Amino acid sequence: MEVVLQTLVDGLVVGAFYSLIALGYTMVFGIIKLLNFAHGDLYMLGAFIGFSLLSWLTGDGTGAAGLMGIGVVFLLAMFLVGVIGMGMERLAYRPLLLAPRLSILITAIGVSLFLENGAMIVWSPNFLVYPLQLPQDGWEIFGAHISYTQAALIAISALLMYGLQLFIQRTIYGKAMRAIALDQTACHLMGIDVHRVIGLTFFIGASLAAGAGVMSGAYYGTVNFMMGFIIGLKAFTAAVLGGIGSIPGAMLGGFLLGMMETAGTFLIGGSWKDVVAFSVLILILVLKPTGIMGEKVTERM
Amino acid sequence: MKMLLRKALYGCLLFALLLGGCANSAQPTDSAGGGESGTAGGGDEIVIGFLGPVTGNNATDGKDMLNAVELAVGKINESGGVLGKQLKVEVADDGCDPQMATSAANKLASQNVSAVVGGYCSGSTLPASGVFQNAGIPMVVTAANSSKLPAQGYDTLFLINGLVPDQAKTAVTYLIEKNAKKIALIHDNSAYSKDLADSAKAAVEQAGGSVIAFEAINPEEKDFSALLTKLKSLEPDAVYFTGYYAAGGLLVKQFRQKEVPGMFIVGDGSFSEDLIEIAGPENAEGVLISATPTAEFIEGAEAFVDEYKKTYGLAPGPFSALTYNGVNLLADAIQRAGSADQEAIRQALKETKGYQALGQTITFNEQNTLDTSNFAVLKVELGTFKLAK
Repeated sequence: MEVVLQTLVDGLVVGAFYSLIALGYTMVFGIIKLLNFAHGDLYMLGAFIGFSLLSWLTGDGTGAAGLMGIGVVFLLAMFLVGVIGMGMERLAYRPLLLAPRLSILITAIGVSLFLENGAMIVWSPNFLVYPLQLPQDGWEIFGAHISYTQAALIAISALLMYGLQLFIQRTIYGKAMRAIALDQTACHLMGIDVHRVIGLTFFIGASLAAGAGVMSGAYYGTVNFMMGFIIGLKAFTAAVLGGIGSIPGAMLGGFLLGMMETAGTFLIGGSWKDVVAFSVLILILVLKPTGIMGEKVTERM
Repeated sequence: MKMLLRKALYGCLLFALLLGGCANSAQPTDSAGGGESGTAGGGDEIVIGFLGPVTGNNATDGKDMLNAVELAVGKINESGGVLGKQLKVEVADDGCDPQMATSAANKLASQNVSAVVGGYCSGSTLPASGVFQNAGIPMVVTAANSSKLPAQGYDTLFLINGLVPDQAKTAVTYLIEKNAKKIALIHDNSAYSKDLADSAKAAVEQAGGSVIAFEAINPEEKDFSALLTKLKSLEPDAVYFTGYYAAGGLLVKQFRQKEVPGMFIVGDGSFSEDLIEIAGPENAEGVLISATPTAEFIEGAEAFVDEYKKTYGLAPGPFSALTYNGVNLLADAIQRAGSADQEAIRQALKETKGYQALGQTITFNEQNTLDTSNFAVLKVELGTFKLAK
């Protein structure tokens, strides 16, 4: 019982990170049919920018930033990386919007390498320790230890996702996003500023990834310039699992993948963690390429 | 469109895999100064090579080793050099990656260095040592200690660090003495780590304990909670992690957070201040380390420690004393050989008898490894390493 519950909670935490990043994948794919492979590196960038802001805030790392400080840093990092995400779209993707999909995909890989190596030059290739350690106290429920930090991480992620869902469903920009996903040319004709909405999509996706980055940096305690790579692939898997292009699908996919991974580690062994994740990807691609919540896509020409 | 989507996804997966391949090799670039190449014995310089991870995940230890090389070479040159010539160091970065190591070794071989010191990760030292063997260049390995290294039977390869089975035995003996019978082993699938875990398994079984878990982790991973939950349910007396400090620090931290019972011991790959920093001082308290003691624990090395601290403003790392010894041993061998010729140096190294270095007396056995190893168990106390009792 305690083991099942503990595994469930651990899976939820990992899944929350996957979900937040998968949302960016799914939104960008939904709107311009681009698999943005640089997305995992925005997560890394978020973690590093959070790191720098916190180091600056706490001086040499001795003084505690306090809950308020963490909140400010969290939002600031989300905003900054959101702007970087928009810039990335403006410089690297917009000129290729009408080019074949393959060109823009290759560009995404280039951007990814650029961000990784850029971060390596700026912040050094070493593992850096976050200037803040989150408390480990928590509840004991049926013998399972659930820390306040874990609960807070899951709650913040859920809140962000709920906010996004409201934004997409209720606001005029959300409506524009859904419309562009359906038919970009028609939206142009209807006088919607397509580029602005695409930019906004990148902003939201990037800031969600950055939020996940700051949280994981504070939760696990170390950051490294390659940290976005594997998690980017996992988030991509989560997006495909849930149905790429679908926002609820990305959330569900992330949480499911996180739990499958932890359960897989428990049942089969630690070295099989990635195997579980990528087996899921292959199975989904073979059996149900649209994913769990993906809609059937009809050819429109 | 469904077909199209499926095709796109397959394509992307392929790209992702390709990218995965690149990302490993896209690690930090060669930071060695692209200096002019020297030739052995020619001119008024003797060129020796240094092979080690100056960039990448293990750069901290790699730079420590490079510092020690420069310290030793500086001292030797100040006192007139070797055979009246100055020593010059060519740095080759292996980034702890087998592919990078092979090209780094080829670079040193093409520069025709007289000998090489270094070698941190066994996984990258293994292929590099093959290159040096083919080129006839003697190599003094100052950190890597997989038993696969001497098992290759290369006559150019000399190891001045104790070997993996010795380390495993030291660690397990300590644990059994402390009444830890149920031992869980975790490695990270690297050559060194797997080797140490295998040796530890053999040592535990020989000593009458039982191995209750033998797990591998992915060192890139940050979340080990599932694995630790599993260990917790097995109630180990001790957990022995045989990988490097980046994952080791996180493991220690999450081990404490999950309140897994028993002792936590790490291998010498995790013997670094960074382990304590990553884990957090209060989590690291009481963690055990099996390692060759660093300079601070060596009697007679006080002068070296002082000078290192003065020059670089930080404490000497785990392998700096060994690397310092390696360079001095090499200089001594060149002196004895009376020439900077690679074969003569190899011969002189082979004939080393009772060479007095910091904390060790070097005599090579049949396999070109140390006659007696010098492993010990250390413990984290109040945020620093102490010899464990």
